[in-house]
Amino acid sequence: MSKNIDITQAGVEVKKSACYFCHQNCGVLAYVKDGKVLKIEGDPEFPTNHGGLCCRGNIALQHLDHPARINYPLKRVGKRGEGKWEQIPWAQAMEEIGTKLLQIRSEFGAEAVATAGGTQRTDDWSRRRFMNLFGSPNGFHNSHLCWIPTFMVETAIYGWCPFELDMGSSRCLILWGQNPGAAGMPEMHHIRELQEKGMKLIVIDPRFSETAAKADLWLPLRPGSDLALALAWIHVIIYEGLFDQEFVANCCEGFGELADHVENFTPEWAAELTWLTPEQIRAGAYMYAMNKPGNIQWGTSVDQIGRPAGSTMHARAILRALTGNLDAPGSDLLTGPSPDFLTDEEMEANDQLPEEQKSKQIGSDRFKLVTWPGYSKIAEQTRKVWGKAPTAEWMCEAHPPSVFRAILSGKPYQVKALLVSATNPINSYGETKLVLDALKAVDFMVTCDYWMTPTAALSDYVIPIAGALERPTITSSYGCSDFLLASQRAIPPMYERRNDYNFWRDLGCAMGQQEMWPWATVEEAYYAKIAPLGYDIENYDEFVERYRFHFPEREYFKYQRQGFATPSGKVELYSTVLKDLGYPPLPPYIGPTENEIDDPELAKEFPLVLTTGGGFMPYHHSEHFQIKEVRFLRHEPYMDINPATAAELSIEDGDWVWIETKRGRIKQKANLTQGIHPRVIYTQRGWWYPERSMAAPELGGCLESNTNVLTTTADDHCDPYSGSWANRGLLCRVYKVNASDMEGK
Amino acid sequence: MARYAMVIDTRRCIGCHSCTVACKVHNELPVEMIYNPVTTVGPTGIYPDVHMVHIPLLCMHCDNPPCVDGCPTCASQRREKDGIVFVEDSKCVGCLACVMACPYGARYKNHATGAVQKCDFCKDRVDIGLKPHCVNTCHQKARIFGDLDDATSEVHKLVNGENACRLLGELGTDPYVFYIYGLEVKNP
Amino acid sequence: MSTKHEGWGWMLAVDFFFAGMGGGMVLITGLLELFAGTGRLSLLGNVMGPLFMCIGCGFLILELGRPFQAWRVFMNPKAILTAGAWLMSVAIVAGLVYASFDLDPAWFKQDKLFWQDWDMLRKLLAVVCVITGLVVATYPGVLLGRHKGRPFWVGPGIMTLFMLSSIVTGTAAHFISALIYAPGSVPGIWHQLPTFAGGLLFFQLIGWIGYIWIKRTGTSAAEAASALKWINGEYADKFKAVFLFVGTLVPLVLVMIPSTLCQGIGALLVLVGGVVMRCLVVYAGTDRTWIPGELKYRKRLPIGDEPFLKAWNR
Repeated sequence: MSKNIDITQAGVEVKKSACYFCHQNCGVLAYVKDGKVLKIEGDPEFPTNHGGLCCRGNIALQHLDHPARINYPLKRVGKRGEGKWEQIPWAQAMEEIGTKLLQIRSEFGAEAVATAGGTQRTDDWSRRRFMNLFGSPNGFHNSHLCWIPTFMVETAIYGWCPFELDMGSSRCLILWGQNPGAAGMPEMHHIRELQEKGMKLIVIDPRFSETAAKADLWLPLRPGSDLALALAWIHVIIYEGLFDQEFVANCCEGFGELADHVENFTPEWAAELTWLTPEQIRAGAYMYAMNKPGNIQWGTSVDQIGRPAGSTMHARAILRALTGNLDAPGSDLLTGPSPDFLTDEEMEANDQLPEEQKSKQIGSDRFKLVTWPGYSKIAEQTRKVWGKAPTAEWMCEAHPPSVFRAILSGKPYQVKALLVSATNPINSYGETKLVLDALKAVDFMVTCDYWMTPTAALSDYVIPIAGALERPTITSSYGCSDFLLASQRAIPPMYERRNDYNFWRDLGCAMGQQEMWPWATVEEAYYAKIAPLGYDIENYDEFVERYRFHFPEREYFKYQRQGFATPSGKVELYSTVLKDLGYPPLPPYIGPTENEIDDPELAKEFPLVLTTGGGFMPYHHSEHFQIKEVRFLRHEPYMDINPATAAELSIEDGDWVWIETKRGRIKQKANLTQGIHPRVIYTQRGWWYPERSMAAPELGGCLESNTNVLTTTADDHCDPYSGSWANRGLLCRVYKVNASDMEGK
Repeated sequence: MARYAMVIDTRRCIGCHSCTVACKVHNELPVEMIYNPVTTVGPTGIYPDVHMVHIPLLCMHCDNPPCVDGCPTCASQRREKDGIVFVEDSKCVGCLACVMACPYGARYKNHATGAVQKCDFCKDRVDIGLKPHCVNTCHQKARIFGDLDDATSEVHKLVNGENACRLLGELGTDPYVFYIYGLEVKNP
Repeated sequence: MSTKHEGWGWMLAVDFFFAGMGGGMVLITGLLELFAGTGRLSLLGNVMGPLFMCIGCGFLILELGRPFQAWRVFMNPKAILTAGAWLMSVAIVAGLVYASFDLDPAWFKQDKLFWQDWDMLRKLLAVVCVITGLVVATYPGVLLGRHKGRPFWVGPGIMTLFMLSSIVTGTAAHFISALIYAPGSVPGIWHQLPTFAGGLLFFQLIGWIGYIWIKRTGTSAAEAASALKWINGEYADKFKAVFLFVGTLVPLVLVMIPSTLCQGIGALLVLVGGVVMRCLVVYAGTDRTWIPGELKYRKRLPIGDEPFLKAWNR
């Protein structure tokens, strides 16, 4: 009995919206009548998804008006975490929050206010604009785990990040710790199409993931050992003469130093560290170097290995340069920022933040790459060649663990307020217990969210935010792409929800910033961004309806015309930018954050290797656990364990088990699988139980199965370049849960 | 005359369960009713030499349907014009004979209405030239739907030209959903 | 939401039991009328046959999702259930009308009820009773045996086992009826019913052991797996202890003992065995020809009482 809603009836408008449950932003057609969305479906004419919609996209209407959505601003009454709220008007909330922030600024300085973000789904350039105007340098996301360190390392080396894979004529693709089969549907489709035309696929992943199952070469390395693999590949490509001689000679600096540096990083050396065979390592190098043009999809895993992260990114970036797979047809393109439309950086008002305040950015003294020291240096280079800089809101951030520590310890100074938008830090930031303590201790907290998350439950104000169908969306890769895709809202925000842009604007206006916020609506702001493109349109919606996207003319080999945006104008295999920042100019070998070679005592106590953070359907991080139409698919957390290891521990499929690291333990159910090394364990991320009470101490069971309880953000466990912490390559142990431990079930 | 059929290319299917959810949501199914489960077989083998395949299931719209033959009220019917098997709700008494008869587990009792429901190839959409929801929503284009009697259709080419086999074909219900497997899958 | 499909349950098993027993009783009624003479069986037995079939139908109707639409099951002549419904209806009517021939006219303050010496009609009804009774006794087994997707049921064997069980429970029920309300004639025939039952029980014992053995060792993998549950799995204890031992072997011995009490107890145990057997068979039908990966998928689905399924119901 298919219920086919009649979309041909009178009064039905079709809106060209987008799904925003992940970064793919698939095109969605929304059928709207009398202000209500009757039905949604994938837009068959959208260039990325061609009408397809994943599990998450399909439940957009269940999400839109779910009974648990926050619909009105809430002000805490009673004790923090008690769960008692007073509903107040939006204007009053802005007034009160604004007053409080001004008060904190006058007493402790603007830097005492920090903001925490998640993985976009927001117009974060407006958050940065607010913070710059307010005077605080302490905005951050958990983007340290998501592409940002990679972006900055690669920009340091070749003048921009070649995140745009020109795959049409690609002969080989390396998915470096990425699993689009579970998380990025349009990308997976594209990959599959190209495989059917002969493209080779290499998947580097400790797990036999959905994507690994389709690979030509699966490299299940020890979690966190990517650096050894990358260095060995450089060795093979150089010493077996597989590098692009012309490109290296004409366009690269430091080849000689590099060759010396990697002389001893042989596949045999790497085999012991990666748990791969030398043959497997060589096979990967050959496949990439000899099937050109080729691409390396950077995934986000390398951003999540902690101590070796920066060096690994450097080594991996070198591979593209050695093989000439840069800005050539079919390879990874240095598109640069858009010269045509206003980038996010140009909307951030970075010039409004005084230098003095910049220097107070927490973490910038130790982790220089993605804070003002590194960002300024790199932005200087990119401005010289491209005329523009990367988005500061992502590429220039305070170090989140250091901010949480500052809240608790008062060092380097007191942080008194945290504005949270589009994230549940208890779930998604490393070292959960530290985060939880900080959130409980911070004087003033405001959370903007769709749901009453544990973080929201501990806040002083909860602000209702509009979701994908209620907002327009511009897709532009965190403001760094040269193209954009544009979507319109289907309906205005329901109840008293507003867009996050309006939150920052209204808050700013309540605090005297109104002159710097000329655009009343998101559409007006977006129109300002795209107007310079020169399309004959009067407003943003017209652009969506008539054009929908802007793809500039593709120009390959731009470096022949303008060089690379580095101090030498060439690709700096030997990086002077990194050296100036105090980092090694060539990637040194650093072992994983916790490993059995550097710390055998620890390995005796925790003999298994943990990898976590990998996504899986139907969730996106900690989202959608409330929606039963998808929750039934995977309604309990499962960890992966090899059957041989499980047998040793007397664990059967479906048993609840504890997974424990030095930081603490969580419980998940055992999924026995041959798709993982006997010494490796994978735990699912994101688990909380929104059906439970959000009042403290239960807080939705946020400590029970949450994998971040296991991770560490101590300074010496983090990447020295960016401060990103490790989700992968930690040491753990596993044991069964006794019947008496099954609390909460 | 037409004969609708579906081909599932498991080489493309990545087990994302989007078809399961799309079907559920668009048909407004109660939570316990899953017309379109997607099973995963594997990883099969011994680490690291393993392989995996996902098998989307649905009503097979058989040509020799035991559910239609066994229905005492004539609620369960097969359309002569195109082979779609469906349930005429007003005639169903919920005896569950069809639920027991179906080797593929494609039928479900609706506790609220007392009657039986199942996938009907989205016949209301198909009748106006659209494709079933599960087909449209699949990013990987792993589900191909069309008229097997039409020699120009993709299903015709796949069923006749590729190694397309059926599940439980030996039971003789003559199902019209076909599966294409990769070479590494021996007996799914 | 269950990890199992909603399927047939104990109510249908009980329906099969009453219908089968009733069919068997009507069959025996007809056979004895035709081959041993009039009035050899108890009026109670002759009435209970059709009444048991009605009770069975009652359970069937209650099991339906839409009981008030039960009349629809007569609609599809090609379906075994429809054919069974029609034939059972005829059996009930024929059985009741036949039984009415033995009604004592004195209860109605008459000398004789007007149809009670229409001997041709009586014989005709007996023939109808034989045919329809046999069909009713057998068709559930045919129905189950034609389920290609249910490995424990599929195949020709289960038809015989159901037919046997129907006849032996019918026999036992007739015997008990005769103990309660004796037939008018010399007890030469109905006193032999226990011996007849003993023979059937022997065949039932052999039949079931053979069925399970062949299912386990000579059929497909799915069928062999389903039979294993009867040997040392889910159904093994009840099958062996209750059905084979208490429901077949013990009565087999009891009915051979020339004591009315022992034979009566034996007959009751046969009935118990009949119900239990059918319940086990119906439950065994939840095993389907599983598709690869399906059991693991269904095992991990929610059971239906999880909080997240209800927490946000409006």
